[in-house]
Order: sequence, then C-alpha cells, then structure tokens
Amino acid sequence: MAPATAPGAALADASPPALLVRGLSHLYRSPAGDVAALDSAALAVGAGEFVALVGPSGCGKTTLLRIAAGLLAPRPQPGDAAPTVELFGASPDAARRGRWIGLVAQEPGLLPWLTVERNVRLAAELAGVRADVPALLERVGIAEFALHHPAELSGGMRQRVALARALAHAPRLLLMDEPLGALDELSREALRLELLALWERDRVSVLFVTHSIREAVLLADRVFVMGERPGRVLAELDVALPRPRGEELVATPAFVGLESEVRAALGRRGAPA
Amino acid sequence: MSGEHRPADPSAARARRLSDAAALVTAAAPPVLALAVLVAVWEAWVRLGQVREYLLPPPSAVGAALVDEPGRYATAAAETAAAAAGGLVLATVAAMLLAVAMAHSRAVERALYPPALLLKLTPIVAVYPLFTIWFGFGLWPKMLVAALITFFPTLVNAVVGLRSVDPAALDLLRSLDASPPQILMRLRLPSALPYLFAALRISVPLALIGAVVAEFLSGDGGMGQLILIANGDLDTATLFAAVVVLVALGVLLTGLLAYSERRVLFWHASTGDM
Ligand SMILES: Nc1ncnc2c1ncn2[C@@H]1O[C@H](COP(=O)(O)OP(=O)(O)O)[C@@H](O)[C@H]1O
Ligand SMILES: [Mg+2]
Repeated sequence: MAPATAPGAALADASPPALLVRGLSHLYRSPAGDVAALDSAALAVGAGEFVALVGPSGCGKTTLLRIAAGLLAPRPQPGDAAPTVELFGASPDAARRGRWIGLVAQEPGLLPWLTVERNVRLAAELAGVRADVPALLERVGIAEFALHHPAELSGGMRQRVALARALAHAPRLLLMDEPLGALDELSREALRLELLALWERDRVSVLFVTHSIREAVLLADRVFVMGERPGRVLAELDVALPRPRGEELVATPAFVGLESEVRAALGRRGAPA
Repeated sequence: MSGEHRPADPSAARARRLSDAAALVTAAAPPVLALAVLVAVWEAWVRLGQVREYLLPPPSAVGAALVDEPGRYATAAAETAAAAAGGLVLATVAAMLLAVAMAHSRAVERALYPPALLLKLTPIVAVYPLFTIWFGFGLWPKMLVAALITFFPTLVNAVVGLRSVDPAALDLLRSLDASPPQILMRLRLPSALPYLFAALRISVPLALIGAVVAEFLSGDGGMGQLILIANGDLDTATLFAAVVVLVALGVLLTGLLAYSERRVLFWHASTGDM
C-alpha cells in the first residue's frame, strides 16, 4: 500500500524519490526569438506514487516530461543556477540507459509496419529483457488484436498498445503525457477507469500529465498545478481519497471539493484549462 | 467483427478476388477499347492509301515484324532491361548509403549535396563516350548511364524519407536508449520505404531511357542498337515494333514495382485498402 504521502515525507524517505525536479527552467531557441517554456518548475514523485500534473495547454508540461525522460537537455535562462532533475537519485541520462522509464505520449507512436504483438515486443528487445507479451496485451484488454496492425485499430486501442509497450520492460517510472488526450470522450472515460484499476494492482511510480481536472483527481495521489507559460508549479494538492477508487467516487462531496480546489489553483493565474 | 485473427474464410477470399478482378476489368475496359479503336482507324487509314507505308506502316505490318523474329526482340529487350535494372539497383544502393550519411549529419549533407546536384545537372549522355573509353563496351557503361540518371531522385527522396520519422516513435525508441544504428534499422529505413518507392516510380522509366540512349550512342546491343539498324534500313515496321516492345517493357517493370510496393508497403496509407 502506498498511502498518499506528503511531499516532505516522500523526500525524507530513505529511498530517493522516483522523480525530483527543482528549479527547472527551459528556453527554446527559435528564429523568432527565445521561448521560455519553464520557469523554475519544481515537483516530486515518490516511489510507488501516482502524481498528476495539470496545466493549461502550452504551459510546458510536455517540455518538463521530455526533460525528465532524458529526451531534451534543459537550457536554463542565462545566469540561472543549474536545475535538479533526478530519477531515483540518478540523472535522466542514467535513467534512460538503465531503461527505468516507460513512456506514453499523446500520439501512440506505434510502428505501422509491425503487428500489435511485435510493437510491444520491440520495447522489450531494445531494453534487452524478456517480456510476456501475451500477458501484457491481456492486461490492457487487446489480446485478441495481437496480430493486427495499428492502422486496423481505433485510437483508444492504439493507446492501449502504447501502454502495453511502455510496461513491456517493467519500468520503474511511467511518464505519461496526456495519454488519453486524443481520444473521444467515451473511450477516454473507459480507458481512464481501466488505467486506474491497472495501476492499483501494480503501483509503479507515475507522472501523469493531463489537462483534465477530473482525470487528475480520480487517478492521482497528488496533483501539481502549473500556470500559464512560462510554466511554474503554482500549487500542490494531496488527494486523500481511499483506494481502490471507482467511477462512483466522482459524485462524492470529497471528490467535488478536490476538483474545485484544483480549479481554483489553476484560476489563480490565467484561465483554467 | 475484425477482432478475429483466424485465417479468413476461403470463400470470402475467393469472392474478394473475383470482385477485384471485376474491378480490374471495369478499370481496364475504357483504355483498352480506346486503343483498339485507334489501331483500327490507323490500319484503315494506311490501307486506304492515305499514307506511304514506309512512312507509317499499318499495325498489321508492325505485328508481323514482331511475329517474324520474336527472338531478336526478346534478346534485345532482355539486354536493355538488364542494363536498366542493373543501373537502378546500383543507383538505389549508392543513394541509400549516401542518404544515410546525409540524414545523420548536416555537415555531410552540406558537403555532398552540391556535388550530387552537379551530377544531376550534368548531361550524362555527354559523358558516355568517356565511359566507353574507361569500361569498353558491354553491360557496364550502359548500366552506369541508367544509374547516373536515376541516382539523384532516389537520393533526394531517401534523405527526406529517413528524416520523416514519427516524432512520437522516435521519442519512444530514444527513451529505451536505442542506438543510432538501431533507430536506423527499426525506424528510419522502414519510414523511408514509401519515399523510396515514390523515387522508383520516377526512376524506372528514366533508367529505361538511359539504357536505350546508351545503346544508341554505342550501337552496342539491346533495343537501342535494334532501332539504330532498323533506322538505317528505313525499316519503319521494325522501328514501330521496337517502340511497342519498349512500352511493354516499361509497363512490365512498372507493374513489378507496383506489385512489390503493395507487398512491402501494405501498412502505408497510400497503398489503399489495408
Ligand atoms: N521545439 C520548440 N521550439 C520552440 N518553442 C517550443 C518548442 N516546443 C514547445 N515550444 C513552446 O513551449 C511552450 C511549452 O510547450 P509544451 O511543453 O509542449 O506545453 P504543454 O505540453 O503544456 O502544452 C509552448 O508555448 C510551446 O509553443
Ligand atoms: Mg503537451
């Protein structure tokens, strides 16, 4: 069991947090002038914790996640102190080399020439581990599509494949960037609940980017709220709702109260999402 | 329901093949009919004495020329096809190797693009006498002409193709610490295949032209030499027959290409019904 831990408690723990970000600023170079995407952003994901990051679009969520995954090197403002970005106490590059990261983005990024089964196996092969691919496909509910190609699947099913692929090498930290963002409302709600059930069995550390307040409160142990660009983290809320959680939770006063807290935090600067 | 992945019902497969055949007939009927009408009018025109036969032989004479010496046309066509196909393979392999280097390094691209462009702007025909001095006669100089003509379109498309990867897929591979060779083999090369086939659609007719022109210039075998000889004899029926054979060769090579494209790119949107 991983009860919703206070950030301080997670940091004081003997084991280092799954993700620790402090003072992270990032400037994109662009011919039309530099774009400040992050301004000393800070957040932490405790080991075994599900953390949601909410913010309006364009506030730098993807930038933060790609820096954490070691896909983008942070470029601080001139004169800024070097940022802290650590995964289990190590650098993003070391985490990537150790294959600690599982990545799910808004676009599934499947290889269209491979079957579902081969797409998932690819991740295990690249990570140099053996994976029980049929079991993984079973877990995300697409076992019967193992031999299909991505073009034959709906958007929701493609994201299931992407999720199975992200889990194939048993990562220590799942980084999910609006994984349900491109789906229609119905698939989105269904997949959200399945993701919840899936996670409550496994308890892998998760950073989950979303701009849906409901999604954040339903899934997460903790919610970080980011403001308009350049993104800084405005608020941090504990979601002390009991697990396992279900759909019926969203109508409870506690849930609604938390939703409006997040909404208020978002509204504190700029418009809510 | 598409959830089943048992082999499809054979009768359904047969029905689909039949409907494919019906679609093919429907698509092919108008042009075939138009061609038949053209041939008939042409035959009638010449028979009615409107044109001298050595200027414009009737289709029947062209057919007779083909039927008289099928072996001669077959041998010549095979030589030309070998030069064109060999040149294509040579150009494709060379262009892919160079494209991989260029797609991985802007410096290499900047260094090699101008010479590649110069090559494109060189009238290859003008260089051909040099090739015969260097390589003598036979297959090699002809293949080189076909290769040089087709090299540039393949190179340009391959570079674009190798760079046109799905950024989400690239992020995923990099998050798993895939090495550049792994990214090349698993992602970039397959992503470049549609571009490569697009280049080949341009290159196949170009390679044929290159081979025939080289044969013209050297009088060294193939359809080019056959045409050269027939031209000297004012044998217009053979000239027309040679054109027919070359068109057939072009159709055959293009068909082979389209077939392999459908097989290889079954996953790609441009190839239709998958
Ligand atoms: N490659 C880039 N070059 C320049 N600006 C960029 C680039 N990528 C993102 N940005 C800008 O940085 C800001 C943050 O982007 P992003 O991290 O994608 O936001 P989010 O994921 O929260 O929508 C946006 O204003 C975006 O326009
Ligand atoms: Mg984003």
